[in-house]
Amino acid sequence: MGQQDQPEELVMRFPAFSFSLVATASAFASSSRPKFGGRLGKIILKRQHPLTEDGSAEGSDPPVKQTTEHIIDLDTPNFLSTTSRGVVPHLSRDHCNSMSALRWVHIPFESFLDHTPPVPTLQCGPNPLHTFLGFSTSKQLLSLSLRDPLDAREMPPNGNTYVSANCIRGVRKVTLADWHKYTLATRPDLVFALSDIPFTPLPHSQKRITKSIERSAGWLAEFLRPHKTVTNSAPTHPLNILVQMPGGTSAAAREAFARGLTETLHDREAEAVKPLRCLDDGVAGYAFDLVTLRAGPGPADDPVINPSANQLDAPTEVAEIKEASTLLQDSNLLAGIPTPSTVCAQELITVAAPPLSASALSTLLRSSLAPLPPTKPRLVTGSCSPHEVLELIRDVGVDVFDSGWAVSAASAGVALDFVFPVPSEGLNAKNGRLRLSGRRDLGHNIYDTEYAHDFARLAGSFAASSDKSTALPVCPCFACSPPSSSSHILHSSVDEQSYSPGGEGDLGKAKATIQPPVTRAYVHHLLHTHEMSAHTLLVAHNLAVLDAFFAGVRRVLSHQTADGASEGQTALPLPDEITRFLDAYDRNMLVFDEAKHAWLDVDRARGKGRLAREKGKESDGGSIEGSQ
Amino acid sequence: MQFEVLAKCHTTRARVCRMKLAHGVTMLPTFMPVATQAAIKGLTPQQVESLGITLILNNTYHLNLRPGIKVLDEAGGAHKFQGWNRNLLTDSGGFQLVSLSKFTTITEEGALFASPFTGEPTMLTPEESISIQHSIGADIIMQLDDVVSSLTVGPRVGEAMERSVRWLDRCIEQHERSGRKDVQNLFAIVQGGLDPVLRDKCLDQMIERKDRVAGYAIGGLSGGEEKGNSLIKQCADRLPVDRPRYSMGIGFAEDLLVCVALGVDMADCVFPTRTARFGVALTFGGPLNLKLGKHTRSFEPIDKDCPCPTCTSGMSRAMLHHIVTIETAGAHAVTQHNLVFQAQIMGRARDAIIEGRFPDYLRTFFRGYFGDKGYPEWCVNALRSVGVDLLDGREVPVIPGSGAKWEYSDAA
Repeated sequence: MGQQDQPEELVMRFPAFSFSLVATASAFASSSRPKFGGRLGKIILKRQHPLTEDGSAEGSDPPVKQTTEHIIDLDTPNFLSTTSRGVVPHLSRDHCNSMSALRWVHIPFESFLDHTPPVPTLQCGPNPLHTFLGFSTSKQLLSLSLRDPLDAREMPPNGNTYVSANCIRGVRKVTLADWHKYTLATRPDLVFALSDIPFTPLPHSQKRITKSIERSAGWLAEFLRPHKTVTNSAPTHPLNILVQMPGGTSAAAREAFARGLTETLHDREAEAVKPLRCLDDGVAGYAFDLVTLRAGPGPADDPVINPSANQLDAPTEVAEIKEASTLLQDSNLLAGIPTPSTVCAQELITVAAPPLSASALSTLLRSSLAPLPPTKPRLVTGSCSPHEVLELIRDVGVDVFDSGWAVSAASAGVALDFVFPVPSEGLNAKNGRLRLSGRRDLGHNIYDTEYAHDFARLAGSFAASSDKSTALPVCPCFACSPPSSSSHILHSSVDEQSYSPGGEGDLGKAKATIQPPVTRAYVHHLLHTHEMSAHTLLVAHNLAVLDAFFAGVRRVLSHQTADGASEGQTALPLPDEITRFLDAYDRNMLVFDEAKHAWLDVDRARGKGRLAREKGKESDGGSIEGSQ
Repeated sequence: MQFEVLAKCHTTRARVCRMKLAHGVTMLPTFMPVATQAAIKGLTPQQVESLGITLILNNTYHLNLRPGIKVLDEAGGAHKFQGWNRNLLTDSGGFQLVSLSKFTTITEEGALFASPFTGEPTMLTPEESISIQHSIGADIIMQLDDVVSSLTVGPRVGEAMERSVRWLDRCIEQHERSGRKDVQNLFAIVQGGLDPVLRDKCLDQMIERKDRVAGYAIGGLSGGEEKGNSLIKQCADRLPVDRPRYSMGIGFAEDLLVCVALGVDMADCVFPTRTARFGVALTFGGPLNLKLGKHTRSFEPIDKDCPCPTCTSGMSRAMLHHIVTIETAGAHAVTQHNLVFQAQIMGRARDAIIEGRFPDYLRTFFRGYFGDKGYPEWCVNALRSVGVDLLDGREVPVIPGSGAKWEYSDAA
C-alpha cells in the first residue's frame, strides 16, 4: 500500500488532460461570434495505472513496470458534481459508483484544514484523493479547489501570500506553498490555482480589485514553477491547472488579468516558469465563480447598455498591472506589500446593488475570455438555474457548470422535472405546476400535500425504465429505475436458500431486473417524516435530470453544427430552443422557495405535538392529510 | 408460513431454521433491522436487500399516523409503498402507545390514547390493530398486547398478562375473519413481566392456542435483558419447537448471541442503525466510536474482513471520522456496515450451529468482543444455564451490569 512500494515513475505521473472543440467547421464558419457561441467539446483524461502481475490491483509488490491506461471522456457542455466534506451530498459510495451522471466530481479542500497536515495529504497510493474519498479512477475525474466555490460567506481578507479558508474549526490561512504541497500530495486530476478573490464586505475599492488581479497573476506564476516529478529528470509542469478568473464586477480588471496571462514573459519571470512562454501556456482551463459576482454590486454602468464606460478606466488598470508584474516571481516582495483596504468608504456608492442580470454576467465573462484562446474549457460554478446555464452557453460558450442548484433542490425536497429541448408537443399537467406567468415549474415540491396520494414517478417528463408504454426518455436514476439487487452478501452457508433461482427461495416478483419507480407519495411521506432516504432519492434523480438536460443541449448543438438537421430532426437552432425553454419554464423558481419553507416547517415542527400542529395548519390551508 | 428446523446445537438450545413467508425465505436465527417509517434510515430497499437482509420491521403506530391507512391501501400495502420485495414484520402499535404517549390508559376494550392529530380520546382495539396491520400487509403481524414496563411490579403485571391473552383471542378472531391467514402470519406475545409464575401461566394459555398462531414473541423484556434472561430461557424452553420464537427489542451483539443460545430465532432493535448515526461502528473487536480523535489519521477500514459496501470500498476510519454526524453520507456508510455486522453475527451463528461448533463460536466471539476487559456477568450466567462456560479456563473478570463497552472519549 505504501507509496514507497510504487515504482517512482508511475507514482508521480499525473493524468493527461485535454480538451478539444468538436463542433464542425461549418458551425464556426456560420457563427457570427465564433469565440463566444454555444459549442461542443470533449474533455479527455488519460490516466496511467501501475499494474500488478495478475493485472488487477494497484499497489504492487514487487513493483512491475507495466501500466494500464484509463480514459475518462466527457462531452461538453456538461456539469461537475459538487461535494460537501468530500462526499456528494446524501449519496453513499455504492450509489456514487453506480451513477452514470457522476463523471466529474469537484472537491473543495477547505473542510480538511481542521487538521495539520490535512488528512487526505497523508493517504498513500498512486491516486490519494480518489482513494481517500472512494471515487473510481476509471470512472471519475476529480478536481480540487481550496475554497468551496458555492460558499459566499464573508471571510477575513486574504494576504499577499495566503488565502483565508474556512473549516469546521474556523478560518485557516493557506499559503501558496501549502497549496502546492497539498496538491502534490493528493494528486487531483485538475486543480484550481489560488486566486485572490475577496470575500470581504462589499463593495470593493478599485484598489482592492487591482490588488486581486495582481496577486492572482503572481500566485499563478508561483504555482506554475516547474518541479521535478521524477528523480533525475527535468522539472516539468505535470498539474492540470484551472484558473479562477479574478476582477470582480470590473470588466476592465477582468480583461487586464486575462491579457496578463497571454503576455510573453521575459527574464526572471520567464526563467521561473521555463519552458512556458506565458502563464496561459500552463493553464488547462478557465473558471468563473458566479457566487462572488452575484453577491457583488453590478457594474456601475451596465456594459451592455454602455460599453464605452468600461473602456474609460481600462488603460489605467492595465498600466498598474504592468507595473506590478515585476513582483510576480518574488513572494518575499509580495509579502511586503500591504493589503489595500477592502472598503474605501469615501469612494463608495452606498445604494444596494441590484443582482447582476444575465447579460451583465455574460459581459463580465466575455471580458475575461476575450484575450484568451477559445480552445480551452470554460467552467462556471454557482449557476443558479438552467435558464442561466443556457444563456451562458449561448452568449459566452461556457463548457462546464456545477450541480449545486440541483443538489440544493434535492436537499429542499424538490424533484426536478424538466427537459431540454422542450418537447414539441409542449408541457402538460404531469409536468410542473403552471404559474401565473404562464410558465411551468422546473420540478415538484414533494412536500406539498397534493403529492400525498400521488403514485406517479417523480418526473412527468421522463419514463421509468420499468414502464414500456411511453415514448418519453427514461430517467436512469435509482429512484425512477431502481435496479434489482443483483448480488447479496451471504452470511452463512445456508443463505443461498433465500436466493436460489427457480427454487422455493426465488421471488417471481423480484426477478425483474428493474423495479417499479419510487412514487411521489412515498417521497412525500419520507420528507414529512424527515427520513434521509428522501434526499438520497432526490439527489440521484435531480443529477440524472441535469445529466439529461446537458445531453439535450449537446444534441441540439450537434444538430445545429453537423448534419443532424438534414436527418429530419425537428430541433431548432440552439438560440431558438433556448427561447422556447425560457418561455416554457419558470425562471423565478418559486417551487424552490416553497420547498425550502416546507423543509423548515417540518424541521421546526419535530417533537411532541407535531401532528396536531400540522393538522391545524393544514386545515387552515384547506387540505387534510394523514387522517385515518 | 412454512417453518422447518434444519439443525440444532448439541449443547445449547440454539437452532437453525428455514422460514418461508409470502415474500421469500428467511434463514433463522436472524436479526431484523427496523424501518420505523417505511425506510431503513438513509438507504434504499435495494441497498438493504443487497446486504443480505431478507426480513425487516415496520412500526404500525408510525405508519398509521403517516402516511396513514388510506395511502397504504391505495399503494397496495407497505411492501409496494416502500419498494421492499422481501419479508416484512409489523408490531402491533401497542408498545409505542405506552412509550410515546403519557396519556394512554388501558381498558378491556383497548388502549385509550390522545390522538396525536386532534388530542381527542381515541381507542386502539385489538381488532383495529390487526386490521391496520392487514392494510400494511406485513408477512408477520403481532397481536396487540398490554405492555407494562419490565420494572413494573404488583398486580398490574398479572392483569396485563391475562388481558394480553384475552386480546390474543380477539386478534385471532379478527385475523381469521379477514381471510388473510395464508399471506399474513399472526404471532402471539408472551407477557408476564419478570415473574416466572406469571410467565408460566401465560405460556400455558398461549401454547393452548398454538394451532391458531404462527409464532411466538417474548415481550416485556426490552431494556431488562439482565434480569430477563432466565425468563427468555423459561419461555424458549417451553414454546413449541415447530414455531419461530421472536425476542422483541434485542440488538446488542452479546444479547443476540445469548438469546440464540437460549433458543430464540428472531430479534429486532433500532440500536445498530441508531448508533451508526451517532458515529459508532460495530465490529467483532467491540464498538468503535468514529468521532474520537484517535481515528483522525487511521487509513484502515472499520473492519478489513467485513463484506459490507463501506469496508469493501476501502473507506477509511479517517474519512468516516471526517463525515460522521455531519454528512448524511456518513450515517449511510456506518448504517450499511452495522447492518452487515448484525447479519454476520447471526450468519456465523447459523454456520456454527450447523457445523456443531456453536459453543466455540460463543467463546471466540466474547473473547474478541470484550477481550480481557471483562464479560457481562449475566451473559456468563445465562450461557452457563445452557451448558456453555465462557470463562472455561480463562482469567477474565466478570462484570456486573450490562457490561457493554462504549468508547466515550479518547481517554478511555
